[in-house]
Amino acid sequence: MTLSIVTTANDGYHVITLEGEVDTKTAPALLQALTEIELSGITDLRIEMFAVGFLSSAGLRALVFAKQKMPHESRLVLIGAAESIADVIQKTGLTQAVMLVNSHDEIG
Amino acid sequence: MIRSLTDRIDSLPTDEIGGFKVRPGKPLPFGVCHAPNGLNFSIYTSAGTACTLVLFRRGEAQPFAELPFPTNYRIGDVFCMVVFGLDDEDLEYGYRIDGPFDPAAGHRFDSTKVLMDPYARQIAGRDVWGEEPDWQGTYPYRARVSFDDFDWEGEGPLEIAPENLVIYEAHVRGFTRSESSGCKHPGTYAALVEKIPYLKELGVNAIELMPIYEFDEFENSRLHPDTGQRLYNFWGYSTVGFFAPKAGYAATGRFGMQVDEFKQLIKSLHKAGIEVILDVVFNHTAEGNDQGPTLSFKGLDNKTYYMLTPQGYYFNFSGTGNTLNCNNPVVRSLVLDCLRYWASEYHIDGFRFDLASILGRDPWGAPLSNPPLLESLAFDPILSSCKLIAEAWDAGGLYQVGSFPAFGRWGEWNGKYRDCARRYLKGDDGMVGELAQRVQGSPDLYRHSGRSPATSVNFITCHDGFTLADLVSFNGKHNEANGESNRDGGDDNHSWNCGAEGWSDDPGILTLRKRQMMNAMAILLTSRGIPMILMGDEFGRSQHGNNNAYCLDSAISWVDWGLLESNADLYRVVKALIHFRKEHLALRVNNFDGIPNEHLPCCSFHGNQPWQPDWSDQSRQLAWMMAAREPNNPLSTDIVYVATNMAHYASWFTLPDPPPTYQWHLCFNTGDQNQPVHHDQPVFEDSGLLLGERSVVILTASIVP
Repeated sequence: MTLSIVTTANDGYHVITLEGEVDTKTAPALLQALTEIELSGITDLRIEMFAVGFLSSAGLRALVFAKQKMPHESRLVLIGAAESIADVIQKTGLTQAVMLVNSHDEIG
Repeated sequence: MIRSLTDRIDSLPTDEIGGFKVRPGKPLPFGVCHAPNGLNFSIYTSAGTACTLVLFRRGEAQPFAELPFPTNYRIGDVFCMVVFGLDDEDLEYGYRIDGPFDPAAGHRFDSTKVLMDPYARQIAGRDVWGEEPDWQGTYPYRARVSFDDFDWEGEGPLEIAPENLVIYEAHVRGFTRSESSGCKHPGTYAALVEKIPYLKELGVNAIELMPIYEFDEFENSRLHPDTGQRLYNFWGYSTVGFFAPKAGYAATGRFGMQVDEFKQLIKSLHKAGIEVILDVVFNHTAEGNDQGPTLSFKGLDNKTYYMLTPQGYYFNFSGTGNTLNCNNPVVRSLVLDCLRYWASEYHIDGFRFDLASILGRDPWGAPLSNPPLLESLAFDPILSSCKLIAEAWDAGGLYQVGSFPAFGRWGEWNGKYRDCARRYLKGDDGMVGELAQRVQGSPDLYRHSGRSPATSVNFITCHDGFTLADLVSFNGKHNEANGESNRDGGDDNHSWNCGAEGWSDDPGILTLRKRQMMNAMAILLTSRGIPMILMGDEFGRSQHGNNNAYCLDSAISWVDWGLLESNADLYRVVKALIHFRKEHLALRVNNFDGIPNEHLPCCSFHGNQPWQPDWSDQSRQLAWMMAAREPNNPLSTDIVYVATNMAHYASWFTLPDPPPTYQWHLCFNTGDQNQPVHHDQPVFEDSGLLLGERSVVILTASIVP
């Protein structure tokens, strides 16, 4: 499987749109993409997950990594994560690091 | 100029092996850990002559690299190496060790085997419970790199005083596996999180989890000779890896997220005010005897890790094939490292040691008077606030309840409490004197060595033996489902079926059974020491007379949550008793000399007449009154009076006079089928009361308003 990663900078927030599967093979690319944006200066990062079928532990670690590099008063939002992915995030206690929403409209 | 860590020259490779950049590693800590730009591998073998690091990509059958340790990478008996440029998320690693195969000398080296790191903090290969592995695989249990990045949000061990604990013993899978649990992922750590509100309502403040270290549910697995049903190692008292949580208990195990899911469970329990105690098995491993598999220790340094006879055979004090050589200094360190890891990295509150008496035997099996391992644990700086609880016996005949080398620190599963309470409940002769000791926290066992009542973990049932409902429904065990023609399991159950063996629709028998369950809980929860309840006993869980369900992964061993409704009256009584215990300091005094108060002895015994217990062999009546001065209000004394009648006839108890200005209140009467609990605690003005056959009454005295 491949993973397509598209980063766009908007006024006040960044969006990373993912398509494909985040597994041990593709997670390093996600980590790379996260490293390339200046995380320490981003207070609002939104990751579109509508077209992601699988998120491995390596992918989750990449998200935790990103949140830790972001300022304390920041948020990392996953938009449209499949139920199976949301489930893993909840069970492993990562809702601390990431916020789960179904659509862009739900972000306050 | 500020130099970052990555600029350090000691984080750069010095050699290259098989195309991988490496440098000599650090011998400590054992296992694998992150080093700047690489991973540090460290492995011990005293008799091995050479070592090779074997690297796999996740789940792949064949390794992608084998890196022999250069001779200069060995320090003492430790091979250590930093390997650069590995993907820690995708890595599984093991070792091959060269050395002699000479069983008579204790050596069983076999360099064709890939061995698991005994310090593996995460183990892959058995990610889903009951999914059969490839039995021909080169490397069944695969060490992985774990990450310590869990966000605890300030949560830590609760450090509840031992005397205030009420322990609930549970099996992770059995607790929620039944569909009746209503959980989303039955049988997992995540499902247990869903049951936390239930535990909180019940009122327990500690959960003791049966083994959660990685084990093999297929160990000794077989098909039942008659039914063809698969039998498992369900309980899990056979460790594969001491540092890794069982992946098959995690709903996210297939994603390799069991570490986080288990930490999330502990964090959630702590947030609910519930401590986590792990049942740990250091007496043997899953490698069995000479017929068993070579997974790790056996091929790394057999002679160090196992107790061997002079001829090189395995000693079998555990009853399971081998015995871990716990008082060898290297193994001692492993045990200590392991417990420190769980206490610090997982915030575990305490440990219950399976067959702990083995830990006090020397390398030749003889009991030590001053066992160094037990001493090290008792005085360890990292474990200092952890509860240490011993199952103070072993399968080799050592029975140390009351004499376990405690160093002022160790508690014990009090097997004598269990036997005495059971025999008193069923109406045996000559039990009243011993019961008086048991309900005070067993001073006959613990006082002389300066220990306190909360040394004693009091229980009437535990995973091993009958459930409470079966204790009052069966005279004998019924273990046919285990496939051993009912030969397995103990016969010293001290149980009584109340008039019919097993299932009955006789209303008199059913009423008596329920009352006996309430009586058991009433005695347990008004005794000093730490009460422990077996999962499901609060609503009458049955195993249909099976007293050894270690191999059953079926409705027999799973909690049937439907009983919570059908036995709601029992559940309400147990819940009320737990809350009553929490309200009454007098029941939780942790000092055999008591807390002084101006009115009454700290603990006194009574019979049909106050201050006159009948100690004769035929006596089946005993009352105890416990008193303690309230710390916040020295003028007020907490007083609880418990009267028990285990005869088959009613018996009059005249109440002791309450102190001046105090009056009695009625709280529980198990003999009153319609109202066993009095939440409003009405004033009780009579001079005494008629206790029904086989029933318990509990009163408190408080100051007249």
